[in-house]
Amino acid sequence: MGRRQLASRDTSLHYLVLQALLVGAAYYLAARLSLRLALIEENVTPLWPPTGIAVVAFLVFGRRIWPAIALAAFIVNAPITFSPLAAAATAAGNTVAPMVAAELLIRVGFRKEIDRTRDAMAIVLAAPSSMLISATIGAGTLVLSDAISARDFASAWAVWWTGDAMGVLVVAPFLLSLLYFRRRKGTSWARRAEACGLLLLITLVSLAVTRTTFGLMFLVLPLLGWAAWRFQQRGSAPAALLVSGIATWAAVHGWDVFRDGALFEKMLTLQAFNATVAFTSFFFAALVTERMRDRDALEQSAALLEERVRQRTKELSTEISERRSAEKRLRQRERQLADAQQVARVGSWEWLVKKDRVTWSDEMYRIHGYRPQEFPMTFEKAVELVVPEDLELIRQNVAAALTPGKDRILPTSEYRIRRTDGTERVLRGKAALHVDAAGEPLRLVGTVQDITEERRAERLHRIAETLQRSLLPDRLPAVPGVSMAARYVPTSTDADVGGDWFDVVQLPNGHLGVAIGDVAGHGLRAASTMGQLRMALRAYAIEENSPAAVIGRLELLVRTFLLSEMATLVYLVFDPESGAFTFANAGHPSPLVIEASGESHYLAEGLSPPIGAAQGPDSFVESSSHLSPGSTLLLFTDGLIERRRDPIHDGLARLRDVVAANPDSDLDTLCERILASLLAKEISDDVAILALRPISLAGSSSHIEMPAEPRALAPLRHTLRRWLREIDAGPQESYEILVACGEACANAIQHPYGAAEGSLQIDLGVLAGEIEVVVRDAGRWRPSSPGNGGNGLRLMKELMDSVEVESGQKGTVVRLRRRLGGGVLAERARTN
Amino acid sequence: MRGGVCVLRIVGEVDISNARALAEAIEGAVPNDATEVVVDLARTTYLDSAGVQLLIQLSERLKARRHELRVVVPDGAPVRAVLELAGLSKVIPLESAIDSGDQASAPGVP
Repeated sequence: MGRRQLASRDTSLHYLVLQALLVGAAYYLAARLSLRLALIEENVTPLWPPTGIAVVAFLVFGRRIWPAIALAAFIVNAPITFSPLAAAATAAGNTVAPMVAAELLIRVGFRKEIDRTRDAMAIVLAAPSSMLISATIGAGTLVLSDAISARDFASAWAVWWTGDAMGVLVVAPFLLSLLYFRRRKGTSWARRAEACGLLLLITLVSLAVTRTTFGLMFLVLPLLGWAAWRFQQRGSAPAALLVSGIATWAAVHGWDVFRDGALFEKMLTLQAFNATVAFTSFFFAALVTERMRDRDALEQSAALLEERVRQRTKELSTEISERRSAEKRLRQRERQLADAQQVARVGSWEWLVKKDRVTWSDEMYRIHGYRPQEFPMTFEKAVELVVPEDLELIRQNVAAALTPGKDRILPTSEYRIRRTDGTERVLRGKAALHVDAAGEPLRLVGTVQDITEERRAERLHRIAETLQRSLLPDRLPAVPGVSMAARYVPTSTDADVGGDWFDVVQLPNGHLGVAIGDVAGHGLRAASTMGQLRMALRAYAIEENSPAAVIGRLELLVRTFLLSEMATLVYLVFDPESGAFTFANAGHPSPLVIEASGESHYLAEGLSPPIGAAQGPDSFVESSSHLSPGSTLLLFTDGLIERRRDPIHDGLARLRDVVAANPDSDLDTLCERILASLLAKEISDDVAILALRPISLAGSSSHIEMPAEPRALAPLRHTLRRWLREIDAGPQESYEILVACGEACANAIQHPYGAAEGSLQIDLGVLAGEIEVVVRDAGRWRPSSPGNGGNGLRLMKELMDSVEVESGQKGTVVRLRRRLGGGVLAERARTN
Repeated sequence: MRGGVCVLRIVGEVDISNARALAEAIEGAVPNDATEVVVDLARTTYLDSAGVQLLIQLSERLKARRHELRVVVPDGAPVRAVLELAGLSKVIPLESAIDSGDQASAPGVP
């Protein structure tokens, strides 16, 4: 049961009755007991505990308990007074006095725990003052009822008053301590033993001092102090009750210390002693309690403070460890950034414009050939290594960057530096400008990348590309009556330039020079050799008709200028008019001839050692053969037929199988099929193939395209001669048609307005014994040409049956017709 | 060259691609003391209006230098028919062969 529940007013009737009965019974029993200690007659005692009980009852249960008190007091007084009226009056006094005392205590804010000095003070002041009421009424009643004489009123009053007051001072705290003083939890046995021992000691001492005649009663005071100091009200209240009880008992029974002296003297001694005991106990206990509470509060606040300190320390250590790990992470990122910069060869920098402070990353220093952070950077120091030609550019860029405006990315710039060791590096700089709120330049940040290697690689790549382009013809010349196709497949494992090449040139005499070759090795050196060989071959091909002689001169060239180079090559000169060809082979795989029937054979003749390994320029041999219309000559490099671990024979046989399986394919298709059938997915060596096939011009029509240049007229006449022969034209009429066509083409080349560039389109046709030659150009003929042009036109008209000239926006078309076998000149001669 | 007669043989084809160069070569080849210049077209395989033009202009220029131009073309040659058709025979006499008299003619004859 908590104190709060006890203090609350329980309105339940049962509880109220129980309270009343308990209080009444306690009052009565205490009264009967104390009456045995009466000093005056039978009803005035020096210690009247019921008053203490009544005060506590009023404090605990409130005023409403008064009937129980009053009734109990009446019952107590009734037998010891002479009339019921006197008893009632005494009972009324005995009821009102504690009620007033309780009321006074409540008014001053008394705490029932008596744990403050002011509570002790309150009870010490309230008890005697309110007990004036009961003493006056009680003593007055005794006098009025003639129980005592009026002369004895003063002493009776005094005894009554002190008895009541002592009852309150001694008993009330004890009861309150029983009711309210909480037991401390977990009280140790040692402490309990101490309490019991102390009470026993107090009892013994009290008995001892009261049994001697010496005035040694003050000896109990230290013990009371001990009780108060060690156990506060819980110890001091019972101790005070015990001591007062024993003293009172001793006084009443006239023990040694009270043996002598008058009643008043004994009374005074006893009450002074009791008062001293009570005051000492209350005040000391209250003081100790108060001090202890203050100490507890202090300890508590100290503990709280300590806890706060501990908490804060913990927080701080957490903060510190977080900061440390953040710093660690930061350092780690900085290191990663530095590593990344080093790998990418990218440095970064910052320039605080207003403070003129420049910072460089470690890689910036390395790029410039310094040790990282070798010295503090400044703007002038930063541009110190820039080569003079580029320095002006840098300064201009900076000047342009430092104009007010918005945040912006600056143009990328490339410049060169010369390190202190003399090496030159190419750098690419990127930068951005940050401005302040007013748009004034605040800082420039940027990166610098060392692109020297990149530039070098790009240059090498460009050179290789250029060489590659020069090695392989972008397109094969269009030769009437000859179909050609070529393929080049680079290696898939090595992106570099390979060693294979081919070329087709139209020689001035209308023949074709055809070459396919392979230079040992790869890369730029091989490419460079190929380029030189190709150009040299072109030059020699113009001068020499013999393939063996051309290869011999190449051999001389290689021996003289390209020491230790080795190359294989097939070079042949093909006459489109006859289909005859002469070839020489310098250590190269033999060309394959595929007849129109599908049968094929390799041209094993004309074979000599490779260029660079031959005995001398004159050691090359050549051989001749013939290609009939519809048959095919296939030239190729070893990559086509060589496979790792396979004998070359297998490759050569496979190639024959493939061409046999595709007898009627056009050359482009044939090339594709050969590559698809023979090449593995992984091509370790590059491959070139070149196919050539004479085709008949005698079909229903042929188309010739030639450059509009005088030098192209001779090859054209070769083609025309072959055509005229194939359509069975006679020698004289062939010559006349040849001249007429030559005049038409010469006019088209010489006379169109504007540049003579472009091409002529010539269509040859035969229909029902009549030939038709159409020459188209992109220009416009002059209406009447002086001199030669006029002669030409007149000659054409003389030589042909009909000559039509149509001049339009897109060019001029000349249409020549003549019936074969007629003999125009003979007829004209006759008409003449 | 024998005596005052200079014989020039044109081998191959004549068209606009080489006519001008050929004319210069012939003029350069004719010595000043030659009285006659004979152009032999027996081995000329092609000759069109550019060639005819060349011969006419050559004749005029040689006349100015007091040389006489004669052109020799075999009778059956295809070139001859075209030359006749082009009207060259009206300007320059076409002969079918180099006669011995020419070859025997002595230099210095006016």
